[in-house]
Amino acid sequence: MDDATTAGISEPLDLVKLSLGERVFIKLRGDRTVTGVLHAYDAHMNVVLSQVEETIHFVDVTEDGQPLPPRAERRNVEMLFVRGDGVILISPAQQ
Amino acid sequence: MSGFFGFDAALPERRPGQGGGDSTRQQFSGFQASNADETFALSGAGEEEDLAVYTWGEGMGGGLLEGGDELNDETFGDVGEINNDFQFSSQPAQQPAKPSYTQSSGRGPIASTQSRYKPKPVADPFAFSEDDFYSSRPSTKKPVANKAPSRPKAQTGHSGSVENLWNKPAAPSPAWGTAPSSLTKPTPPPASYSSYPSQSSGPPGHIKTLEEIEAEMSQLDVTGPSAQTLPSQPKVLSLEEVEKQMMESLEPPRQPTPQQFAALPREATPSTVPGLPGSGYANQQALLDSMFPELGKAALPLQHPGSFPPGAEGIPPPAGPSPEEIARMEAIHKRISAKIESMAQHNNLMGSSDKDFITRIQLSQLATADPYTSDFYAQVFSALKRSRMAAEGQGDGPTVVPVAAGLGLGVGGPVGNRFGKMGSNTMQKLSTQVKKLVENRAQHQKVMNTAALQGALGRVTRGNAAAPRPVLAIPTSNKPEHRAASHLNEQTGIHRAALTRKQIMFALEELYDAVLELEQMRREAPPPTAMQEIEVWHARCQTKVDIIWRRLMVMEPLDVSNPHPFIALINPVKGQRLFPRLLRHLPHNQSITMLSLLIATYPQLDVVARAPPPPVADASLLTKADRLDRAKREAETDNFLHCIIPGVDMIINRCGLGLVAGMLAISAQRSEVWKVAATRPGVALYTALLSKAQSLIRAPAPDPMNPQQNQSPDPAEVEQWTKTFTYFLHVLLPHLPELFPSSVAQKAAFGPGAYLLGGDAIGEREAVEMERREAEVWGFAAALAVNAAEEEQTTLVAALREKILHTVQAARNPATGPIRSEIKLRNVNMFLNGLGLDAAMIE
Repeated sequence: MDDATTAGISEPLDLVKLSLGERVFIKLRGDRTVTGVLHAYDAHMNVVLSQVEETIHFVDVTEDGQPLPPRAERRNVEMLFVRGDGVILISPAQQ
Repeated sequence: MSGFFGFDAALPERRPGQGGGDSTRQQFSGFQASNADETFALSGAGEEEDLAVYTWGEGMGGGLLEGGDELNDETFGDVGEINNDFQFSSQPAQQPAKPSYTQSSGRGPIASTQSRYKPKPVADPFAFSEDDFYSSRPSTKKPVANKAPSRPKAQTGHSGSVENLWNKPAAPSPAWGTAPSSLTKPTPPPASYSSYPSQSSGPPGHIKTLEEIEAEMSQLDVTGPSAQTLPSQPKVLSLEEVEKQMMESLEPPRQPTPQQFAALPREATPSTVPGLPGSGYANQQALLDSMFPELGKAALPLQHPGSFPPGAEGIPPPAGPSPEEIARMEAIHKRISAKIESMAQHNNLMGSSDKDFITRIQLSQLATADPYTSDFYAQVFSALKRSRMAAEGQGDGPTVVPVAAGLGLGVGGPVGNRFGKMGSNTMQKLSTQVKKLVENRAQHQKVMNTAALQGALGRVTRGNAAAPRPVLAIPTSNKPEHRAASHLNEQTGIHRAALTRKQIMFALEELYDAVLELEQMRREAPPPTAMQEIEVWHARCQTKVDIIWRRLMVMEPLDVSNPHPFIALINPVKGQRLFPRLLRHLPHNQSITMLSLLIATYPQLDVVARAPPPPVADASLLTKADRLDRAKREAETDNFLHCIIPGVDMIINRCGLGLVAGMLAISAQRSEVWKVAATRPGVALYTALLSKAQSLIRAPAPDPMNPQQNQSPDPAEVEQWTKTFTYFLHVLLPHLPELFPSSVAQKAAFGPGAYLLGGDAIGEREAVEMERREAEVWGFAAALAVNAAEEEQTTLVAALREKILHTVQAARNPATGPIRSEIKLRNVNMFLNGLGLDAAMIE
């Protein structure tokens, strides 16, 4: 079985293909993460997502340099084009 | 080389080079000569250059290069400096003469000649440290080199003889010493080349002592061969200085030298060889003198053809070129610059040919072997657009512009529109152009078809115009099928683990690929007149369908896994979307089989097994993961109802009563009907089955289009259906009220939510949505009622009595919004009407 599933995979992006139409988790530069339904991707990891929730993670620092607990800001987007140069990782969203 | 550096290390290295061949030696000497020049000029700058010389010498040793001496100056120049320091300190005066020698020999005239004539033998006798080096090896090598090189030397021999003569008079002993050194330190090679010709007349001039010799030479020449020499020689005496100047001016024309080499050496060799052995001054002089006449006669003419023209001409030319040629050059230059200027007006502008070229490149990139799939979205878009335009009465054009056999351009819209003003003429031109290009590329590709290896070495090559990188790489090689199912079939054990998510996704992608290919194939149907092609085409489509069928894994044993592989495939939204597209291609019996499997394994469906839980009154009670999970399940359910149920309905509609009864029986036996029916997909399925059965039983008005189906159903089938339905209803009846979403929600609710749920706590929108879902169940109940016998209808009503009353009351409750109350009434009436009743009859 494992042979059968891996034999058709010849490059890393073939794995991303498996997530087409599925919800994926994408980590972006700038402490951002995005989850959404993957509609399209290309070799540059440009990605088109729908039903996107974007999360920006902050760590605020007090005046005396003490980090506050991290906080996150979220927003929802209907449809999103993510430019590939910001993509760090793509993974299937946790079920 | 031989200079400071050379003593120990450099020289040995050189030796190999010298030993390698005469040519190397000559080159050696040549660069030495050049070195000498440089050394003269730059005595101090030797060291860096030395290194360069080193390598050069080695290189020379490796491969002897007769040609390409033009660059010797650069390479040799470096080497020379060192040498100069060494040798020339003692003999500055001779060098001027030497340059001419080197020139005469061409590549390493002086050095080579000297070395050949005297140096080789001489080197040994002289005790210079460098000389020692040279002598030790050169002597050994020289014999070899001499034999072959001797010929070239022969050339030098003419000049060399003269040179020798000069050397002797000028500085006999030092010359010897220098001779070896001279090998390394001849004067600038360029000068030598040009000088060589002049040499015959000129070299003597350099060394004043040799004037007499030159005179002799000239006489010999005069008597002998060339008229050219005659003029030069008479001048020689007076023109010694002039000649020197000539030498300098003539330096540039080096090209003649090779010719000299080639021509002179052979003839000269014999004469030179004898000269060489005679290392003694006197001997040599005598020899040379004796030789001279021969040389003068034989060699000079030889020289003249090659070397003389430049030399002889060179004397007059130096003056000539400047006035005439300069004018000519200026004229040419003017013309060129004028031309450039006129052309510069159009700099950075594209001419029509440029545009054409770029257009062709672009078009050639667009041409594809598979215009449909590689331009899929444009094709779909154009299909939609054309259908719209067709509705508006406009004609539709082709969506693909055929370019060559098996190649075409996808065109997004109707051609006329898309290319507007360009019209069909332009399109034809374009297509012919592209055709040419494509053919051209096809030829190249045979050679360059390494696309499969692209990136294999880690470097992805950019495409160029000749071999554009395919934007869409369509795998041409047919990979063997990798399928889980094939393994399954081989297994005897019936049970095995369910497909992993990855396997599912992979199988789905394969399915999508196959379906796309099949759809493409269907589009490429041959013209209806070509019977044979149609048959072939049908066969191909059929094989594709078979492949898809196998990939669907429908034929796997029912209990092979939980969920069944096929169910696993349609669990993800992706698989559900694929379902209707698949269904179009499957023949009837296969779709029936698929439906049977689907019904039998219905409880394994995610949308059934993990149906979305009933809504809660307060969404804030849910965790985020919960919310997401609910949303996902809802989405899957919606998608299932949207994608799969219509297909199921379609299949059921083609079934006979017996089949419908059989399917209901399967479902009733294999699954807990009430659980399935508690989900929206379940309700939809059962409703479809029941209504189809009822429509079959009632034998609707004869359909002229379909006479066979008009036959009243087979009584046996009706009986079977009745039995099945009775059993089904019997199983279901106790749970009937619980099928309603509102009941489920109320049951699931707790705390204050339980009281709020029926009221206004839920937003209006959710409430309406809830009513819609209630409607589905009411529809199901109606289907049950229609199918039920009279006594069954009574029990049915009894089971739903409370629900009916509650709903009607709620509808009449003024607190209920008008929309909701209307929906509620309609829902109830849907059921009651099936029984011949109406909500209005309820008090």
